[in-house]
Parts: sequence; C-alpha cells; structure tokens
Amino acid sequence: MKFLCVPCDSPMTLQSVGPPDRGSLSVVYSCPECGYEMAMLTNAYETQVVQSLGVRIGPATGDRTETSSTSKCPFSAMIPPGAPKPLGEGVTSERSSDGARQAASTEAMPVRWTAAAEARLANIPEFVRPMARTGIERFAREQGVLEVDEKMLDEARDFFGM
Amino acid sequence: MKGYYDIIGDGGSQILDQVAEQRARITDGLAGVRHLVAIGSGKGGVGKSTLTLQLAGALRARGLRVGVLDADFNGPSLARMAGVQQATFVPGSDKVSLPRTASGIGVFSMGSLIPESEALDFESAARGESHTWRATREFALLGEILGSFDWGALDLLMFDLPPGAERTVQYADFLGSFDRAQDSPRTSFVLVTIPSQVARGVVARSVAALAKGPHRLLGYVENMSGYYCRDCDALKPLFISSEASDLGIPCLGTVPFDPELARQCDMGIPFDGLQESFVGRAISRVAQRLLEDLDKPASADATRESRAGKEPRR
Repeated sequence: MKFLCVPCDSPMTLQSVGPPDRGSLSVVYSCPECGYEMAMLTNAYETQVVQSLGVRIGPATGDRTETSSTSKCPFSAMIPPGAPKPLGEGVTSERSSDGARQAASTEAMPVRWTAAAEARLANIPEFVRPMARTGIERFAREQGVLEVDEKMLDEARDFFGM
Repeated sequence: MKGYYDIIGDGGSQILDQVAEQRARITDGLAGVRHLVAIGSGKGGVGKSTLTLQLAGALRARGLRVGVLDADFNGPSLARMAGVQQATFVPGSDKVSLPRTASGIGVFSMGSLIPESEALDFESAARGESHTWRATREFALLGEILGSFDWGALDLLMFDLPPGAERTVQYADFLGSFDRAQDSPRTSFVLVTIPSQVARGVVARSVAALAKGPHRLLGYVENMSGYYCRDCDALKPLFISSEASDLGIPCLGTVPFDPELARQCDMGIPFDGLQESFVGRAISRVAQRLLEDLDKPASADATRESRAGKEPRR
C-alpha cells in the first residue's frame, strides 16, 4: 500500500507505527514536500492480513530478539498456554547412566548461556526457541556442564540433528 | 496524478522487501534439495502420513538423503510415527538443525512442538474470524519453517500434505513457485487413495484440480490395497468394491494394510524392521518406481496428461 499527497503529487513516507490497540494499528505517513501528515488506522481484519503474511509494518528497530525478520515471528503466541513443555525424556538414543547421574546432580542449577550462544538462539524462529532452550539445557546438564557455548551447540547438533 | 506503479518503493512499510527476503531465505534453504515430493490425496484417513514416512524409510534404506516435512500443521502425526515427539531443536549459526530419526531421516513436525493434547493456535487480532486469515497464516508458517531449518543436501524432501483437494492445490502453487525453472520442475506430486469409490472420487477431484496448473503429478499409490494376514501369509480383500474408476494418472503401486505396520507407526518404530515383510516389499517397489519417475524428464510423465487438461476417467 502506498500513499500519495494529491496536492503535491508526491509519495508520502512512513513516519511511525503506533502500538496495537485492540487489533488496530496507527501508521502515520507524511508528505516530504508539504509536511502534511495523515494516519492509516487499520481494523482488526486489516492488521491480521499483514500479520498473516509474517511481516511487520515499517523498518526493524534493531533488537534482533524481538524485531528482526527471522525473530519477530507472527506466530509468537501460537504455542498454547503453558509452553514450552519440557522436552527430552529418552530423546533419541542412548543416555549413559553417568549422564543421567550428572543430569540429576545439576538439575536444580541454572544453565548459563554465553553471548554467542544466546545470539544463535535469538536467530531462530520464536516458536521453536523455548523448546530449543529447554532441550539444549537438558543436554548440557547431561554432560555435567552448566554453560552453553557455541561448542556445546555444535555438539548438540551433531548428536541430535541431521 | 501519479499511480501505484509510478511510485518507487512502498512508502516505508517495507512489506514487499520482507516478503522478498522470506522467499530468498526459502530459496536458499532449499538450494541443496534435489527433489521436492509432496504426498497428498484430498481425502483424509487414506494413509498419507504412513506412506510418506515409510517411503522415506525405504528411500533412506537405499542410501538416499531424505527429509520429511509434516505439512499437516493442524493434525501432525509424523512426530509420533517417526519417534521425534521429544526432538531437541538445536540452533546453528544461521538455521535450526533438523531433528533426525535413528535411521537418519530428517523430520520436522509440529507434533514435536505441540503436545497431542493441545491444538495449534495463532495469536490473532481478528480472533473468531479465523476463516478469513488462517490459511494465509499457515502458509506463512510453512515459509518460516522452510526458511529457518537447515535442510542441507537432500536427495528428496517429502511433504506430508493435509487433506483437502484445495489444500493440495495451494501447496502445489506454493512449492511450485520455488522451482528453479519451469522446464525442469523440482516439485512432484504423488496422490494416495484407497480402494473405495468414495476415496477415489475425492482423489479424482485432486487430480482435476492439479491438472489446472503446471504441476508435475507422478501418479497415485493405492494404500490399504487388501489386508495382509500374517497368520495365513496371504492377502485378503479389505474393501469390497465394484469396478474401480480410472484416475487418469499412473498407479505407482499398491500397498496392503498390515496391522504390524500400523502398530509400528503408533510406536514410532522406523521402517527398518519391515523391509523384508510383505508390506515392506510393496513399499520398496513404490519407492523404486518413484525414483525412476523422478529421474525421467517431466515431459514424459503424467504431467503431460494433466497439462492437456484431461479429465480423470470415471
């Protein structure tokens, strides 16, 4: 959708997108020639059409975990209430009894993520992220490790993935 | 006064750029995939998911690199069948690593993310009106999955489609748009039916719907084609059917119903144990035929018949 300032015959440019209010967005455009401003106020159906395409209106703000094209997932709330569900009991294959003991001994302790590992996590779709975090932390505990770094992620990929 | 096409750019909404970016990610993600094979029907309950996974198993047993995407987001069953309900999703440097079965088949299924006791739901600004937007959102989800997972180098990526003739066509349009070139389509369709006139009638509608577009339709598989009795080691009729209608596309093979196969699917046991069984051999024959047909030029298969707009014979 484009907006044209008729008196100036000039395309208007997006200035701001207001936060959603009961399914409505307020998108402000202005004319670069005369400065005239107008707002497009969407109804819930129009907002939904854009959401359903998996896009946002306007430029990304730079907060990758919330607004990048890969992370600002329109499906963020699609996992039913209560998710993420714990993953992993008997995930794919053998777990050593040593691993099980280590997991039990570290179960209550928090697992730290390095900045680089967090960045990888932030780079994947939001609807997968909680499950990924839970599964990786379980894997780390089973290794007797309480920090997830890129090396740990690579090991997990080799263990679980294609 | 300027018109829409006189104005360069989109005024700052950047929606077109984002859609283009999404498509680029999907194209990039599928770059290493040789064949996209969609298993559909139109009819529900004919064994699409079972056949998809078992064919993937038969192909994997031949040493091929195979991935499966459970595109039935609302009724995902492949996570259970493939034994990846408890899959761990691992973030890579750019994409998510694809969970794999014990035999090395990559599987994505929403069943790995959502417990069977819960239904797929989307946040919506227009709740209560999902009929107006739900399909669009599901295809956006499909795009997100295709663009976000590491499919790697695969010989085949198989799609287990949801029921519905119109959905089959929507997937055909979506996947076909990522074919490298119209002259050598990468996306092929296989339809599944059972020996009942009701099912064949629905599948015939899917054939007719696919025939309206430039889609490569390899043929159909008749599932539940008799009941295999392990006690008698004999094939018995499962459906008492009058003369079968001609779907107008090649039959790629028939697969009998075997309760042991159903049990293994429920348990998430892979194909390996069934390879030498009666049903296993039937599935292997279909897999062989599928491979042969995929390697033929598109002009030599059922697509030609479909493109000619030929109606299925009844």
